Amino acid sequence: MNLSLHPLILLLIFPGGLFLMNIGLLYEWIDRKLVARYQNRVGPRWFQPLADTIKLLAKEEIIPQGVHKGLFLALPVIAITGALTAAVYVPLFGFRAVYSFEGDLIVVLYLLSMMTLCIGLAGANTLSRFTIVGATRALTQMFSYEAPFLLALLGPAMAAGSWNIGKITAYASNNLWLILAQPIGFVVALVGLMGKLELPPFDAPEAETEIVAGALTEYSGRGLALFRIGKNVEFVVGITLVVLFYLGGIANPIEFILKTAGLLIVITALQSLFARLRIDQTVGLWWRLGALMALLQLLAIIIGKYLGEFLR
Amino acid sequence: MTDSPREKFIVPIGPQHPALKEPGNFEFTVDGEIVTDAAVRLGFVHRGIEKACETRNYTQDLYLLERVCGICSHIHATAFVLGVEKLAGVQAPPRAEAIRVLAAELERIHSHFLWLGVAAHEAGFDTLFMYTWRDREVVMDLLESLSGSRVHYSVNVLGGVKIDLSQKISDQIKKEMDFLEERTHYYMKVVTTDDTFIGRTRGIGKLSKERAELLGGVGPTVRASGVKRDVRVIAPYSGYKDFSIQVITDDEGDLEARFVVRIKELLEAYRFIRVVLDQLPPGELTTRIKRKIPEGEVISRVEAPRGELFYFIQSNGTEMPARVKVRTPSLCNWGTITDVAVGHKLADMPMLLVGIDPCFSCNDRMVEIKSQSTPSHIMSWESLRKYGIEYYK
Amino acid sequence: MAIGVLFGDLLKSLFSKPVTENYPFVKRKAPENLRGKLVYNPEKCIGCMLCVKDCPSNAIEVLIVDIKNKKFVMRYHPDRCVYCAQCVQLCRFNCLSMSNSQWEMASTSKNTFDVYYGREEDIAEILERAARPGIDLPPYGKPRPT
Repeated sequence: MNLSLHPLILLLIFPGGLFLMNIGLLYEWIDRKLVARYQNRVGPRWFQPLADTIKLLAKEEIIPQGVHKGLFLALPVIAITGALTAAVYVPLFGFRAVYSFEGDLIVVLYLLSMMTLCIGLAGANTLSRFTIVGATRALTQMFSYEAPFLLALLGPAMAAGSWNIGKITAYASNNLWLILAQPIGFVVALVGLMGKLELPPFDAPEAETEIVAGALTEYSGRGLALFRIGKNVEFVVGITLVVLFYLGGIANPIEFILKTAGLLIVITALQSLFARLRIDQTVGLWWRLGALMALLQLLAIIIGKYLGEFLR
Repeated sequence: MTDSPREKFIVPIGPQHPALKEPGNFEFTVDGEIVTDAAVRLGFVHRGIEKACETRNYTQDLYLLERVCGICSHIHATAFVLGVEKLAGVQAPPRAEAIRVLAAELERIHSHFLWLGVAAHEAGFDTLFMYTWRDREVVMDLLESLSGSRVHYSVNVLGGVKIDLSQKISDQIKKEMDFLEERTHYYMKVVTTDDTFIGRTRGIGKLSKERAELLGGVGPTVRASGVKRDVRVIAPYSGYKDFSIQVITDDEGDLEARFVVRIKELLEAYRFIRVVLDQLPPGELTTRIKRKIPEGEVISRVEAPRGELFYFIQSNGTEMPARVKVRTPSLCNWGTITDVAVGHKLADMPMLLVGIDPCFSCNDRMVEIKSQSTPSHIMSWESLRKYGIEYYK
Repeated sequence: MAIGVLFGDLLKSLFSKPVTENYPFVKRKAPENLRGKLVYNPEKCIGCMLCVKDCPSNAIEVLIVDIKNKKFVMRYHPDRCVYCAQCVQLCRFNCLSMSNSQWEMASTSKNTFDVYYGREEDIAEILERAARPGIDLPPYGKPRPT
């Protein structure tokens, strides 16, 4: 669908900016409620993430001793900027992307990784023992899941023959759903998404029982609120990307709601099923199993393309 | 990088930490993710209970000592009462002894379910945590309908017990035991076959049998290393003289073995409770006991859910004890952690800590260390406060 | 070796009602032997004071109105009580019992934690005799506020 509004409104209010942040809060609520229902509990009410954010924004921000003050205050802003800018190029909620150009898939993935980089920097900046361990783990995890996740998203790009998100979604919605044509790629993309967003079982960088809160331990007030909003926005953008590529594109908002809700049910089930993996187990799993599976999938696509051309 | 002397990077776990439910301080020196050294400091929950026992009479002490720990409260009271009854030369009637061990086994069930949940939470497995604690509610409700309170059951009085079992409660207990047994088999399957969970527990914290005996550990922690030591079998007390129970051991010695041992103890407890309920001896509930306990000293040993609990009671012929010494099982097991921790990763530390089932509130008793250099002296409140402020500057 | 062993339970929990009870709106009936608030019946009390002697936390005081005619008033502090039921066990005439309906005892004022049990006229007499601060207790001689 097309939206013909003033570009500034598209960027800041709808569907980017404010609307996206609120949808991020909604998705956080759905995630927590579903996880609670899997665990036989009731779960929070609908306004809980909103209340959390408002409370955090209203609290005093404590700057620990010995940090670089400018970096400490700027990193949350950079993180959320990265996530929101990535949303500009992704067709959200069934509407066409605000801006698009050839190769914007790479830019989007880079901008999404900037969030993890900011968390790592924030942890290294605060010289607390917990944050340094958390930052190391976050960066280690980033090194491990980036390659397979990128390769998994490369599969549909190769099938569609372009790096432009808009063209890939057009291809995905016109042909057979790529989840059936490239099942291995779908599994890698889904699990890679969970690694990128630091969802359990890959939440070693944020392990509550070992290192309090990981890299964000010393953040409070506004900085923490911005990081959380950034994470929620990344959640929405990541899910949208996977749905766009593998579940046959999104034509209108109703399809968006249905398809993302379906994917959320699967993701939350995966969240509740497993114990937390240690960081060395995560890296081992990704580099051994994940990269292999992604390469296999790519090989299958290449062979399939050549065979197709050969047979034609 | 390796030329300059390595600075020690110490990760503190505690006294305030989400991993611990109670305060205690552990300092792990890490190099990246590998732990190179470990140190333990306790003493944050010292409440002066042993001193308080000397100014209260025996009945009041019974309820005070029950509150040393919330999870193993009944067994503390039972140990004290058995000691006092031995001093007074009184034997509680058989029905009272049977009810005492029934409550003790129900408490063991509740404690092991609690531990399963906490251990799963430390591994990041929140779903198992929620499920085990949901099933633990069944046991708590049983104890509430039996004794009147969910924790601190106050079943014991000097000379017997306070509560009686009706046929209705007995049937209810048997029904819930069936339900819990089915759930326990399911948890056994989860703990031994789930890949992610095994990745966190198998092969970690391996403690050999010789090392375990050398360090003097007690309870399921060392029973998982093959040490066949259980006070209920070695030195039977109270109802265990009439109804026997089996010792559960495992040979592996790692974390998974400790899970398996505790779950098997749960199954053994279900069998034991059914036997006791079927063969509950009739009779009265209490016998008379004098208020002034005759002079003497007595040692009382019982098997708490965490290991061997040891009481020393000294009486001087009045209504108040002269000295009560409590040695709780968690105190013996700290050595096993610092011994095993070196070489493991930082992420294994909370799992190791929870593997010995620590109960910090039980731990803190006064230990007098006779040092050569500084003479011992008694501090007044003012000087103690000043000392504390200076120490933390 | 299996992945996701909890799956069956997970699916079942998704489609069943949560186990949590919405407390203020759903109150479960308490079991019969619940040890709630202490209740005292002054009819049979002989004033042996055993309950006072053995209470672990000094939560009971038995005040003597008239010892020959066995008139006693019990002052009970629910905030000090540990609900151990030792006093119930000791009383030979069953004057004490623990209620199983009164167990929600949170309160925002302090005078709910100072409970008097007894016959009406005895309680009135005790409260009459109680010292008036400023008149019977120091500081003496302060004029009563009009």
